[in-house]
Amino acid sequence: MGPARRLSALEQDVWAVFRQATKHDPHVYVGDVHASDPEMALLLAKEQYARRDPCVNLWVVRYSQIFATDYGDADMFRPATDRSFRFGGSHRDQQRVYREAGRRRDDEE
Amino acid sequence: MSDHTHTEDPERLAEFEARVAAGEQVETGEWMPGEYRQEALRLIQMHANSEIMGAMPEREWIPRAPTLSRKMALTAKVQDEVGHAQLLYRVAETLGRSRVQMIADLIEGRSKFHNVFHYPAETWADVAVIQVFVDGAAMQTQGALRSSSYAPYARVMKRICYEEDFHIRLGLDVYRTLADGTPRQRAMLQDAITRWWVPLLHFFGMPDRVSPHTEKMLRWRLKVKSNEELRQQFLRKFVPIIQEAGFTVPDPALRWDEASQRYAYAEPDWEELKRVGRNQGPKSAERLALRQDYHRRHRWVREAVERWGLLAA
Amino acid sequence: MGAALREWLLRAADDELIIGHRHSEWTGFGPDIESDVALSSIAQEEIGHARLFYEMVCRVDGAGDPDRLAFGRPPGEFRHAVLVERPNADWGTSLLRLFLYEHFDRARLEVAAQSTYRPLADLAGALRREEKYHLLFGEAWVRRLGAATEESGERMRAALAAVWPDAMDLVEGTEADALLAQSGALPQTPEALRRAWTEGVAVVLAESRLPVPEVAPAAEGLRGRRGQHTVDLDALLGEMTSVRRLDPQARW
Repeated sequence: MGPARRLSALEQDVWAVFRQATKHDPHVYVGDVHASDPEMALLLAKEQYARRDPCVNLWVVRYSQIFATDYGDADMFRPATDRSFRFGGSHRDQQRVYREAGRRRDDEE
Repeated sequence: MSDHTHTEDPERLAEFEARVAAGEQVETGEWMPGEYRQEALRLIQMHANSEIMGAMPEREWIPRAPTLSRKMALTAKVQDEVGHAQLLYRVAETLGRSRVQMIADLIEGRSKFHNVFHYPAETWADVAVIQVFVDGAAMQTQGALRSSSYAPYARVMKRICYEEDFHIRLGLDVYRTLADGTPRQRAMLQDAITRWWVPLLHFFGMPDRVSPHTEKMLRWRLKVKSNEELRQQFLRKFVPIIQEAGFTVPDPALRWDEASQRYAYAEPDWEELKRVGRNQGPKSAERLALRQDYHRRHRWVREAVERWGLLAA
Repeated sequence: MGAALREWLLRAADDELIIGHRHSEWTGFGPDIESDVALSSIAQEEIGHARLFYEMVCRVDGAGDPDRLAFGRPPGEFRHAVLVERPNADWGTSLLRLFLYEHFDRARLEVAAQSTYRPLADLAGALRREEKYHLLFGEAWVRRLGAATEESGERMRAALAAVWPDAMDLVEGTEADALLAQSGALPQTPEALRRAWTEGVAVVLAESRLPVPEVAPAAEGLRGRRGQHTVDLDALLGEMTSVRRLDPQARW
């Protein structure tokens, strides 16, 4: 992997906004706001990104603090060899046995 | 702005074009041809400008909206347009120009905004026409742009289209209420339709010449459909909304051609569109002056915010 | 009792409508795009709250509809404080007014949440959720503008001096208050409300380097709670009702 790429060192007043819809959900990146400081960024993010969509919590992160991989390296995320062993997908019979075992017990109860 | 030509490494360019042709999208920070960046910036900046300028005709009617629910809905609608400007300026920023710079470009008349926002909103019926037909027209182009090759643009277009869809529904409610209303209300609506017809035809631009430039924009998927294609798409959907409510389209030549599945219409005066494009529309100067005025009045607020940010950092 | 309660409800409804109207005039012209969006939400919510209070007035009356109350009354029947009818001057003054009003509204809703009139207690509880953000937004702006630069501090001190006499009108009472306090419908006197409000704003103002001006009684003739308003309200209502007046019998 190449060196971590700072998304932007210049945009001091730009914040990435992460919205958590319910406590069961992770915080998800939804967009950016311009703001002078974190408190104002949170206040402004609420109306720009949560005035319609459900929200229980917001994060804001200064852009200059975000590091990213390079799109030039995107191919390294693409498997070159068979990785199905990671998913258990090749063990379909076992999956069926496993699922039905649970169902039989549920039916008995 | 676009007078210097870009010479690109032909191999890189070919690889880029092959990727875009295969339906791949371009992300911020990825290599892109200089001309692609410049054209994408020009388009998205103009789109952002149009959202913030597009707030102006309708916001004039917020204080006069005739019921409490209309007042809330119209305020929320104009707010959405302002919010779209926020999203779009941010996308434009990723192509290399700061929002501060773009706001300056706008109010000093160096960048453009869409033709329809250079016209006055004279009556409450204009609110209905703007929300149904102007937003309906915008929906045709924006809907197509969801498959733009510039990924950040395509992403925000999804949210924008989702919100525009509310606007059209809300607008149709205002429209139907006037259409089902008193003779005076109907007359008001007919008058607004008549005044907005030509700007609506203009909205999609002149029929495309088959120029190498247009071809390139389409190839790069910065433009997704041709002007005429989008105009016909609009007419098919919106002419019936006018006619079925018993209103008249102010074009005696307008007719549906079954064979070609297209509307024939009288060619509007394209010179007017060019004048409007040079900020010489009926409301261009007044609206830009008003923006400049507020920008000046907010100077001390911007300075205070900036100072506070430095103190807080 | 019914009349006193009605009067109290109209005050709240009219306050919310008129300040919501003033806030909505900023939509499209905020000092930055994000703050424009945020204040617009506040405007919409205030107008929404007004409608809920008007509905309650209709319930007390046993007739009527919120739109008729909002658009169909002459200025003298409005019961909002004069503070909220003043035209927007600059962003600082509007946000200072928002801050002063929201502090008052919080104190008012706290009392209303304890009302023995159950529908009001329930409504007040719900509204407090939205008003919380309004107050945070107002405070954030007042703190920043009060202390950021020399110019912003000067402008905000001038703004405070200008709006303070009108702000006193927020906590003016009438004969209705005594009745409501006695009956338990609104278990607080105007004096207690005034104290709660003044103490609340004074802390933030002091921290924002905005000393509270000498407390002056509202100027004569500024008695919004008694239906005495300024020409600013005539102009506001003239504009607000202009479309509806084209044909008051029509559906809009």
